[in-house]
Amino acid sequence: MAPPPPPPQWVIDLSSPPASKPKSSGIPDPPGFTPTSTGSKKQQGSSKTVVRAPLTPAEMDTLKLKKAWEVALAPVKQLPMTAIMMYMSGNSLQIFSIMMVGMAFKNPIMGLMATNQAFEKLESEGIKSKITMVKAVYVAMQLLALALGIWKVNGMGLLPTTRSDWLAWETARDPLEIAIPAF
Amino acid sequence: MRLPLNLLALTLSILPSTLAVFADEAYSIDYQHELLGLPQPHTTFFHRPRSDEKATLLYTLSDLGVLGAVHPGTGKVVWRQILDGEGYLRAVEGEGTLVSGTGKSVQAWDAMSGRGKWGNYFTGQVKDIEVMETAAVGEGEKDILALFEEDRKAVLRRLKGANGDVKWEYRGSTEDLPLQVSTNVKDVFVVSLHGARGGYNLKVSILDPVTGKKVNEYTLTAKGDVHAPEDVLLVGANSAAPIIAWTDKTMKNLKVNILGKSGSLQSLPLKESDGEIVKVTIHAPELVQSMPHFLVHSQSALSNRADVYHIDLATGNINKEYELPKLPGKGAVSTSSQDANVYFTRTTQDEVIIVSSASHGILGRWPIMVGKHHGSFVHGVAEVVQRSTDSYAVRSAILMSEEDWVMVRNGAEAWTRVEGLSGAVAAEWAEIPESESLAKTLEAEAHSNPLSAYIHRCKRHINDLHNLPGYLQELPFRIISSILSTDVTSHKPDVLVRDNFGFHKLAIVATQRGRVYGLDSGNQGVVVWSLKAFDISAGKKWDVKGIWVDSSNGIATIRGADGEYILVQTLTGKADEKMDPGHWPPVQSAAVVDSPAGPWILPIGLDGNPGDIPAKWTPKEYLVVQGKGGEVKGLKFDIQGPLAVPITAWTFQPPVGQKIVKVMSRPAHDPVASIGRVLPNRTVMYKYLNPNLVLVTAVSEAAAIATFYLLDSVSGDMLHSTTHRGVDTTQPITSAISENWFVYSLWSDILPTTSGLPASKGYQLVVTELYESDVPNDRGPLGASSNSSSLEPSDVANAEPALPHVISQTFLIPESISHMSVTQTRQGITVRQLLCTLTSSNSIVGIPRTILNPSRPVGRDPTPAEAEEGLFRYQPVIEFDPKMILTHRREVIGVRDVITTPALLESTSLVFAYGIDVFGTRVAPSAAFDILGKSFNKMSLVATVTALGIGVAVLAPMVRKKQINGRMMTA
Repeated sequence: MAPPPPPPQWVIDLSSPPASKPKSSGIPDPPGFTPTSTGSKKQQGSSKTVVRAPLTPAEMDTLKLKKAWEVALAPVKQLPMTAIMMYMSGNSLQIFSIMMVGMAFKNPIMGLMATNQAFEKLESEGIKSKITMVKAVYVAMQLLALALGIWKVNGMGLLPTTRSDWLAWETARDPLEIAIPAF
Repeated sequence: MRLPLNLLALTLSILPSTLAVFADEAYSIDYQHELLGLPQPHTTFFHRPRSDEKATLLYTLSDLGVLGAVHPGTGKVVWRQILDGEGYLRAVEGEGTLVSGTGKSVQAWDAMSGRGKWGNYFTGQVKDIEVMETAAVGEGEKDILALFEEDRKAVLRRLKGANGDVKWEYRGSTEDLPLQVSTNVKDVFVVSLHGARGGYNLKVSILDPVTGKKVNEYTLTAKGDVHAPEDVLLVGANSAAPIIAWTDKTMKNLKVNILGKSGSLQSLPLKESDGEIVKVTIHAPELVQSMPHFLVHSQSALSNRADVYHIDLATGNINKEYELPKLPGKGAVSTSSQDANVYFTRTTQDEVIIVSSASHGILGRWPIMVGKHHGSFVHGVAEVVQRSTDSYAVRSAILMSEEDWVMVRNGAEAWTRVEGLSGAVAAEWAEIPESESLAKTLEAEAHSNPLSAYIHRCKRHINDLHNLPGYLQELPFRIISSILSTDVTSHKPDVLVRDNFGFHKLAIVATQRGRVYGLDSGNQGVVVWSLKAFDISAGKKWDVKGIWVDSSNGIATIRGADGEYILVQTLTGKADEKMDPGHWPPVQSAAVVDSPAGPWILPIGLDGNPGDIPAKWTPKEYLVVQGKGGEVKGLKFDIQGPLAVPITAWTFQPPVGQKIVKVMSRPAHDPVASIGRVLPNRTVMYKYLNPNLVLVTAVSEAAAIATFYLLDSVSGDMLHSTTHRGVDTTQPITSAISENWFVYSLWSDILPTTSGLPASKGYQLVVTELYESDVPNDRGPLGASSNSSSLEPSDVANAEPALPHVISQTFLIPESISHMSVTQTRQGITVRQLLCTLTSSNSIVGIPRTILNPSRPVGRDPTPAEAEEGLFRYQPVIEFDPKMILTHRREVIGVRDVITTPALLESTSLVFAYGIDVFGTRVAPSAAFDILGKSFNKMSLVATVTALGIGVAVLAPMVRKKQINGRMMTA
């Protein structure tokens, strides 16, 4: 059997496209430039992990704990910003302030409900007791954010804290005697 | 259910209240019967308002003292003036002037506009007025002769026609009863009744018109025939030969004297046809140039006939010319003159005929086409017009026996004025009764057990299915009409049914002449039915003490002062039961009480004594009545065997020198939605809500003091009192009380002793609010207890009652208020409005409660928190802004009382004012928040939705196609 004929030129072109870096010939890269080819980066990264020595469990725990603290304190970092925005939005009932208040309540409550999910990846046997404390701090921070929301709602007069808010549930006294006017 | 109501109440209190009647609602939601009162035969006439004008107006001075001009073509009032009571009215022929004499005054009015020209007041009582005709034309305005009774003597004054000044005065020498004044051009005749009461002679004094000196005097013997001024049938008629006429006792002969001819007293026989003659009237022309003819109209119980007489001026003889034959039923004859011609118009139950006074030939004859519900013809005025040589037209305004004033134009009814509705003395709201069978079925279902009731209801609904095709057929029309029509209340006319909004209610009106009317408030106040309840003799007024409407049975009970009562079906106006006056003891007042045998209307006898009543009918509640000297008494019923005996529980008597003029209590329907008022700092002042509050107004005329006492009507304890000094007690002092506040108005002067505080002089409106405690968030001495007793306020024996904390504020108002009432809504959520009747501007003003708030900050602008609670800066003067006037451009005269009732819509209160006029409207004090206004364009809403639907239907396939194409292109 005769060997198969060489594939046509288009097949060769199709299977081995020309290099996508036409300028690589001739012009050198500027100093400090690292090639950004995704392929090469992947290669590099993969090579790095290969290079890095595996972490000990203790180191791993320390890192996890550090990460956990970061997660726990994240809500409080937003607080000053939120507080300023709330202050600026005023106490009147407008779409913007209502949205602000809605977010101020939604975020902490969602955060509180997702407490365990937030720390799920960082859980490990070694730091169980410490993680619990971090969770407590996380919950405290969320409550702080919630308190800010409540402060805002109170400022808007939406909290039923005064006597007038409960007036509707109070009833008039029933008179025991009735006199009919006849004049 | 409580929560939304109260939240709504809170929201409403913050909303600005409406201050205006919207232009598109005026004349549509409000209605008015512009009334005059019953026209009187001697003060009603057609007259040209200007001598060069061809058209005439119809003028009358009614029994209520209303002088008015009515357009004869339309029946609309051109102008009206209220004078002081009945009187005399003359038109100055050839001039645009009317002269009225009422009470002690003689006034001249411009006939076109109704403006006053001049008025003159005298010490005596006006007895008659007459226009002094002059022989020569164009001597300026004609003078007026006015006859007065002063110190039981006749006084005649000739007043200048231009300004009403006295030209000369004649005083009778002897004590006579002045009757009338008459004049032919040469002489002036004063006719007076001479002698003792019961048998008078007629004295005729002849005066010189230029000097007013007595020329001659003669007496006509009429002893036994003339007992009272009414027995003299006619004096004068301003013709060439004025006559005086009366009938003898048995109505067999008519005695006639031509004034000035002392010797000639002619006796004309009255022909009896069937039965005794009961009424004789004489009709003669009024114009000086008319021929001296007159007509004697004699009526028996069954028929009426007439004789026409001519006066021979040369000899002074009176000759019978012809007679008008007997016709069955009652009839009315009226005179009209054109130049020298005199026409008599005779209106009987079958036809109208006109004859000339000269011959008996009938000039025109028309069959009568007037509704039978008007009754028979009583009296009228006519205007005859000669169109061509032998073609005539006649229009006559005739008062009917059912107190309607009907214009009969050539026999046909042109317009009707329901003048009997004027002079209303009492009114009450009535629900339109539901169809009886349904109400009974629903009641039966309510009383049976739930399962059988459910089965019964299902069966009933299946039975109702046969109505379904009709309902479905009607449905498109209903939808279309609800879209197209702008008026929310429009529905089939002539059918009295409740509407979804509760705007259709009946107003039951009782008038001083003993008639009862039913008006539909949702349909421009049309008269649905009317009924003659009692015959009230002339000069008396029906004194209605109470109307009680039993809505479940659809029966209204009306109680009068002389013990009479009548039960009327509210839907049809049929009288179910009737008791004539005099059979039962007199009644001072009446109140609806609840007893073991059901609610009923309890009459209170004189001196506030209801008397003993059967034990079964014992009222469950206490009673508050007024005693002999006006003192306020609390009554309690004690059952002694088969009877319940009233026992006086307490009596309130003001200090010596003070007289109780008014006692007010909270309305029977006075719901309170919120029991507290929220202060700007969100604390609560609890309202003092005691249903047993009575506001007593006592005045001392000598000391110019008005004191207001607030009493607890169960225990008689005085809760609060306030005294005003320098009060003019002759000015109206009115008050109203509702919820936890009361308000009163009076005229107060600056006292010389006042120092320090700035005082003011004028009409004042004082509003006072009552709270349980002066400390916010505190419910007062009673604390959290869920009920309250006036008799035993606390567990401690003989404890003092819990006194309210009082906040008060005074406002100055521009004019006096003659009556006050407060709007009522279904649940009391809507802010109340104070409805004040202003007599001097003939209007009703609605003052919102937000203005009458005693907590408004004084001397400073409100803080933002205060503004949030609807408080604004105190202004001492409340201007009656035209926007607040509920009657807008209407003139509502003689308002006696304003009654309100809630509609089914919480926002709306129905208002009904009565007196001389009848006026009704709907008010929405917190804006009509639960109904779409007229300005809401249902058409454009439907059109928009339809257009959007069409747009979607057209665009959807296009868009779908484009999307598919787009996907094809990119793939």
